Amino acid sequence: MSGIPALPALPHRGAAARRPVRLTAEERAVRRRDYFSAILFMAPALLLVSIFLLAPVVYNILISFTGWSHFKGFNRFVGLANYRHAINNPDFSAAASNTVVWVIASLVLPVLIGLGLAVLLRGLKGEEFLKTIFFLPRLVAPTAIGAIWYYVYADNGVVNTILKQVGAGRFAESWLYQASTATPAMIIAYVWQTTGLVMVLLLLGLAALPHDPIEAATVEGASRWQIFRHIVLPMLMPTVLVVTTISIIAGFTTFDLVWVMGRDYPNPSSLTLAIHQYWESFRSGHWAYGAAIAVLLGGIALIVTLLQVILQQRVESRIR
Amino acid sequence: MSVAGSSRRFALAGAATLAVLWLVPFYYAVSTICKSTAQYLSGTPLSLPPSLSSLPGNIEAAWAQTQMGQGMLNSLGYGVLGAGGAVLAAASAAYALARIVFPARTTWFMVIFAGTVFPFQIYLIPLFQGYARFGLLNTRLGLLMAYMAICVPFPTLVLRNHMGQIPRDLDEAARMDGCSHFRIFRSIILPNSTGPLIALFLLQFTWIWNDLIFSMVLTTETAQRSVMNALMVFQGNYAGTTPNLVITASVLASLPTVAVFLLLRRYFMQGLSLSVHA
Repeated sequence: MSGIPALPALPHRGAAARRPVRLTAEERAVRRRDYFSAILFMAPALLLVSIFLLAPVVYNILISFTGWSHFKGFNRFVGLANYRHAINNPDFSAAASNTVVWVIASLVLPVLIGLGLAVLLRGLKGEEFLKTIFFLPRLVAPTAIGAIWYYVYADNGVVNTILKQVGAGRFAESWLYQASTATPAMIIAYVWQTTGLVMVLLLLGLAALPHDPIEAATVEGASRWQIFRHIVLPMLMPTVLVVTTISIIAGFTTFDLVWVMGRDYPNPSSLTLAIHQYWESFRSGHWAYGAAIAVLLGGIALIVTLLQVILQQRVESRIR
Repeated sequence: MSVAGSSRRFALAGAATLAVLWLVPFYYAVSTICKSTAQYLSGTPLSLPPSLSSLPGNIEAAWAQTQMGQGMLNSLGYGVLGAGGAVLAAASAAYALARIVFPARTTWFMVIFAGTVFPFQIYLIPLFQGYARFGLLNTRLGLLMAYMAICVPFPTLVLRNHMGQIPRDLDEAARMDGCSHFRIFRSIILPNSTGPLIALFLLQFTWIWNDLIFSMVLTTETAQRSVMNALMVFQGNYAGTTPNLVITASVLASLPTVAVFLLLRRYFMQGLSLSVHA
C-alpha cells in the first residue's frame, strides 16, 4: 500500500488484508458482513450526534442568514444583515471586547498558575494535600460558584469587608457593576475554579515524561531553570497545548458563572458573547441575530482548535 | 530537580499563601450556612457563626424554597441515563472503529468526533426551535436526549484509543470459533474496558449534573428542570434578601458530585489522565 495516500488507518491486522490480492467469494462476504456490523455498532452514536448536534449546527448557520425573530417569520433571507447588525451593535462590541479579555485571561492565567503550581508541588511533602486544596473548587458546580462569589464581591461582601478592616476602605467598590472591574472579578472566580484542574492535568503530563534526559542534564550540572526551560517544557508542550485549548474554549464560552454573577441584566460591564447570544435569542426572540453570534463563537472555536492542531504537529516534529 | 534554595523556599511560601487564599470562599460558604438571615445581615461576611443551631433550619428552608428534591431527582435521572446511554453508545461505536476493518474508518470517526468542535451556543436555538416543533420542549425526554448526544463524542475518542490497545489474540481466536462481533464486544472488549467506562461515566455524569444552559433553554418548568436550574432561579430571586439560604442551596446542590468524587477519586483521576493522553 506504499505510495497511495490512503487514509491514516490504525495499525491493525488489516495489514495482511490490504494486500491487493483477489479475494475469494467467502472473504468478500466476510468483509460485507464486517462493514454492515460496523455500521450497526456505530448507529446509536451516529444517530445521536447527527440528529442532536450536527443537524443543529447546519440549521443554526442557515438561521443566521434569515430575518427570523419572534415578530417576523423565518422565510426571509437577509444575507449578512445579522452579522452587519452585530458589528454596529454597541452591546455586541461591549460583549466582544469582554470576551477578548476572557480569551486572553483564560489562556494565560490558569495555564501559567497551574504550570507554576505543578512544577512547584511535584514531589513535595504535602503534595497530595495541597493538590486537593487547589482541585476542590473544580468539584463545585459553576452555578454554585457564581452564587458564592457574588457575595465575595457584593457591596458589603468579603472583599470590601477585608478592605475596610485593613483600613483601605476607600478602595471598596461595587466590583460587579463597574465596567473596569466586573469582567476581571469574574475571571478571578473562573481562575479559582479551573486552575486546579489545569494543574492536575499538567502533573499527569509531567509524571509521564521520561526520566533519563532530566537526570543526564542534572549530572551535566544544568540549573533547575535550564532543565525546566530546555528539557521539561519542550517535552511537556503537547500537554500544555491540549490543556490550553480546553481552557480557552471553556473560558470564552463560559455561561453559568457570568450569568449567575451578573444578575441584574442587562449589565454591559460584564456582558460576554455567550450571555449576549442567550439574551438576544431566548429573552428578546431575535433568533436570527442570536444564531449569527453563535456562528461567530463557533468560528473562533474552530480557529483556536486549528491553531492547536498546527502547533501540536510543529511541537511534535521538533521533539522527534 | 531537587535543588533547594531561597528561591524555592520563597516559591513554597507563595504556594502556601495561595492555598490559604483558595480556601477563603470555602470558609465563607461553610460559615454562612451556619448563620440565620438576621445574623448574616447584621454581621460581617467572614465572622464566625455564634453556633450551629441555624444550620438545620437553613437546610430545611433552602431545600423547600428551591424545590431541590424535584431538581435533584431530575438531575439524577439526566445524569445516570444520559451519561450511561452516551458511554454505551460511545463504547459500541468505539468497538467498530477500533476492532473492525472497514472502509473510511477515519471519516466515520470524524463524523462522530465533530460534535466536540463547536461551542454549545451553536446548538441552543436549533434545539429549542426543533423541540418546540416536535413537542419535546419542557419534556424530560428532550433534555435527556440532548445531554446524551453531547456526551457521546469525547468518550468515543477515548474508548477508541483504549480498545485499540487491547491485545488482538483473544478476539482473533474467538472469531475463528465463529463468535459474532456482538459476543466479542460483550464478553471480551467490554470486560476489558471497565476502568475507562467507569471513569468516563463519572466525568459525563458530573458534567450533566453541573450543566445550567441546556436546562435553562430546554426546560422552563419546575417539573422538568435540573437542580442547577432550580438553584439559578432561587439565586435570581433571593440573592439580595436571604444570602444565607442561597449559599445553603448552593452547597446542597454541589454536595452529591463532591461526595461521588471523594468516594470514587481513583476513577476520576483515571478519567482526567485519559483526557490529556487521548
